[in-house]
Amino acid sequence: MKTKVSFKNVYKSFELHAKKSEKILNLFAMSKKKGKEFLALREVSFEIHEGETMGIVGLNGSGKSTVSNILAGVIQPTRGSVKINGETSLIAISAGLNGSLTGMENIELKCMMHGLSKEKIKEVTPDIIDFADIGQYIHQPVKDYSSGMKSRLGFAISVHTDPDILIIDEALSVGDSTFAQKCLNKMEDFKKQGKTIVFISHSASQMKEFCDRVIWLHYGEVKEMGDSTEVVENYQAFTQWFNKLSNKDKLAHKNEMLGKQVSHHVEKSPKRNRIKLSLNLFKNIIVLIPVIVMGILLLTNY
Amino acid sequence: MLKSLRQVIKEQFEYRDLIYRMATFENKGMYQIHYLGSLWQFLNPAIQVAIYWFVFGTIRGGAPVDGTPFFLWLIIGLIPWFFISPSIIQASNSIYQKVGLVSKMNFPVSLLPTIRIIGNSIQFLVMLVILLVICIFYGLEPTIYNLQFIYYLFCLYAFLFAFSLLSSTIATLIRDYQMALQSLMRMLLYVSPILWNTSLITESFTKYGPLIENILKLNPLFYIIEGFRDSILGGGWFFEDLIYMGYFWTLTFAFLYFGAKVHMKFRKNFMEYM
Repeated sequence: MKTKVSFKNVYKSFELHAKKSEKILNLFAMSKKKGKEFLALREVSFEIHEGETMGIVGLNGSGKSTVSNILAGVIQPTRGSVKINGETSLIAISAGLNGSLTGMENIELKCMMHGLSKEKIKEVTPDIIDFADIGQYIHQPVKDYSSGMKSRLGFAISVHTDPDILIIDEALSVGDSTFAQKCLNKMEDFKKQGKTIVFISHSASQMKEFCDRVIWLHYGEVKEMGDSTEVVENYQAFTQWFNKLSNKDKLAHKNEMLGKQVSHHVEKSPKRNRIKLSLNLFKNIIVLIPVIVMGILLLTNY
Repeated sequence: MLKSLRQVIKEQFEYRDLIYRMATFENKGMYQIHYLGSLWQFLNPAIQVAIYWFVFGTIRGGAPVDGTPFFLWLIIGLIPWFFISPSIIQASNSIYQKVGLVSKMNFPVSLLPTIRIIGNSIQFLVMLVILLVICIFYGLEPTIYNLQFIYYLFCLYAFLFAFSLLSSTIATLIRDYQMALQSLMRMLLYVSPILWNTSLITESFTKYGPLIENILKLNPLFYIIEGFRDSILGGGWFFEDLIYMGYFWTLTFAFLYFGAKVHMKFRKNFMEYM
């Protein structure tokens, strides 16, 4: 079976800055001070095969959305290798609709940005309207929509842009159960077509029913990976155990886990090749010299 | 050496259809919330022209500039300015504004500044037609010099593209830059030959006058606006001042080179600087 997605020892760290100015200094690598960093992902490795549906479970802040953002190419991993064979499409609650445009116009705009041709857009528009099922509101500006309507429209557009690898990040949690069922049916269709799906959700029943395998992320690490029923049950057992703890113990456990994620030793990326750096500087100077020469000529030309 | 530059320019050509469609779309959305709609695109400039004409015309005492009626002279400079100034400001802000929307899709970020420039071009085109009508009204005869209008139009777009490519990246990484740019643009209106004739400097400061005027000429917008006047009023040919032409193009190339370079360096990480 073909491997569609492969993560190998992926680390993602976010730098924690006390002040805004530190961010700028870090940007130009001028700051020698070592900052703190938060490890959102630590040594995450997994593979997803073609036609497989992979679920990701975990508590809030365990790194689920970081994984989905890396998959969609929104952010880049700090270390480790990520290989994706195919086009990914991320469906999240914040679907990125333009509030001042009407539903119809948003359909056109989003399809356009996904690279669909004019004819193709005309072809899928009735399907999208039908799927979103928001009645006359389709001709109203999106800013007047309820949150459920927005997510319906967003989901309807995303599934009709013909993605290769679908990433669904808690997008079903806003709509009501009838719409969720509609989406699940659509996803079953995708499964039958042999598309690869990454499914992120808090609903244990949807996970068990829908996914082939599940990854349990726990404070940035892969705690378990394997058959969906088994992993989801272990995860549920954990949440039950956690909920039974006293408030003090809960806090202590959380702080212990979060403490592991903050590292004080920032490993700077290895220094760049000196020859390459000076070659770069040389190129920059070559571009700038004519500007300066012409500028001086212009100034003295009277 | 020019790998990033070639990549950025290739993207613009590959997606030229999309750029045009997105631009008309954005224009539609921008004025939809107003009752007068896209009429504001022309009402705003008209009000500004009226006030500048009143103030600077009064200061001049209604005297013509080198034989050209002041109103005509003013409007030839102001119309490109009404295109340049908002285009630079909006195009610089475009990546910061839209990257959240675009990063989840397979869509080259380098198109965003171009979409703003093309979007504003539609208004610019209509204003150029209005300018043509005004020129006819003043009884301006067509001359061979009019042909170089195409050259200066090309200069204008090349500069806008090059500058906004660099500018939009900086504005995304450092938000203070956008503020500074807005102030700079407000200042440039007064030190470009738009509202007043800069040859007045030579009369006021006899010794250093030409030097001061040359310092003002370092502003590349000076080249474009003077060029528009030369091509409409027939002042001279663009190849007569080779030094100025060389300065303008080497500067535009430098913007393009560094713009493409920093854009390609940071494009994958834009979201993390938000």
